[in-house]
Amino acid sequence: MIAKQVARIIAEYVVFLELTDEEELNLDTAVEASEVLGAQLEALDKGFLRELVDAFAVIAAEYSGDAHEVVRNIAYGFYLEEALAADDPVKLAELEALRDARD
Amino acid sequence: MDQTANREHKSGFSHWLRTGSLPTALSPEGVELKFNPWHDPEDGRFTFAGAGSHYGSSGADPTGEPSMGDRGRSRAARPSKSEALRVGTRIGDGRRRTEPRPSGGHPQSDAASRPGSPPNPVVEFVGGVGEGLYDVGKETVTGVHGALTTNPVTTIRNAGGGIAGMIDTAIAAEDTPARIQVSRAAEAVANASARDIGRATGTVAGNVALTVAPGAALSKASALRSLRLVRPRITYAPPQIGWVKEVVRSEKPWKAYNDAATGSRAGQAPTLMRTMADGSKRPVKFDGIQGDYVIDRKWSVRDMPRARAQILRQSEVLAQHRLIGIWEVPTSAQRTKALKILKKMNVTNIKVKVAKP
Repeated sequence: MIAKQVARIIAEYVVFLELTDEEELNLDTAVEASEVLGAQLEALDKGFLRELVDAFAVIAAEYSGDAHEVVRNIAYGFYLEEALAADDPVKLAELEALRDARD
Repeated sequence: MDQTANREHKSGFSHWLRTGSLPTALSPEGVELKFNPWHDPEDGRFTFAGAGSHYGSSGADPTGEPSMGDRGRSRAARPSKSEALRVGTRIGDGRRRTEPRPSGGHPQSDAASRPGSPPNPVVEFVGGVGEGLYDVGKETVTGVHGALTTNPVTTIRNAGGGIAGMIDTAIAAEDTPARIQVSRAAEAVANASARDIGRATGTVAGNVALTVAPGAALSKASALRSLRLVRPRITYAPPQIGWVKEVVRSEKPWKAYNDAATGSRAGQAPTLMRTMADGSKRPVKFDGIQGDYVIDRKWSVRDMPRARAQILRQSEVLAQHRLIGIWEVPTSAQRTKALKILKKMNVTNIKVKVAKP
């Protein structure tokens, strides 16, 4: 339950950084802020991070348009699955293959 | 004076090489000088007609000995060798004239330096080659000297250009004569003396060398003229780095990390102006600058739309300013992510390295 609430806070912040107009928010500053956010997410407890990753997929339905895509791809864009599989080389290789196939 | 006389002598020789006929030659006293094909095979000295061997441009020696001359063959009457009055100097060096021999003296011949012994053909040939090469080199040097002394231009550069131009012109002018010389030498070589062959060979070799190998013999002089034609190397202005106020404030490690980039300034961020398609300009922020390298420190790497857009912006502005970008990341894992995303986007002007916090 708490994971969904935290996920919503994070999602709002990410949507702001990704979709705010360039005239309102400097693009480089937005990227820098999201880099910091990404590092903080990677540093979270693995169990809670697992719950957050799952929560992002759930709350994405609450958004539409570009925001929906942004929230749905938070785990992908911040390399959160890779952070969870940091000690599993097989899983990392699988994730890398999936990432390559996606592009 | 000696240079002038030698130039006239060389000019007459060149005239013969080109046309097969000799220009009218006059002594300093105004007396016409004649060609004497008769030559003593033992010491190379001129003899009266019919004495010694006949060395013309073609035909055979009336004596049955090898000969290369035909000039004066019909008018040859052959006195005995002992009766021959030796006159003039050696032939084969281009001088086709007789000169009165000073009474009681020896002719100015190289053979005179070896009295009493027949000339060694090998030595004669080598000596002749040296003479020919020396004459060619001497004429070139004389021309350079003339260009230097007759050109009052004060700058060394113009003087050098004049020298090089003169040499190049001489090379072009000597091209055809050199080939003619070769063909004529082939015709005459069968009957020429060893020293004659050597001298002709040296002259031709020298001229051919000047013609076909200017890069070896004259590269430095010719390069002076080419300097005027070389387009100056393009030099790029130092990177136009702008500085904007850093609006993000934090006491967390990531901020200290970004602010510690090489060339960074406290409270300011270096920027490069990116020229848009419509001509407008927008700044692209970085974290540091080191020479021609612009540094962007990344606390973590992401693969999201604006992160990719930033990569394109940075790559474009770096290309516009002919610079290279460096991403500095805190861990090798982040470096691996950065390299992969840059490779996906075909960005080659941004490098990645690990910079520990």
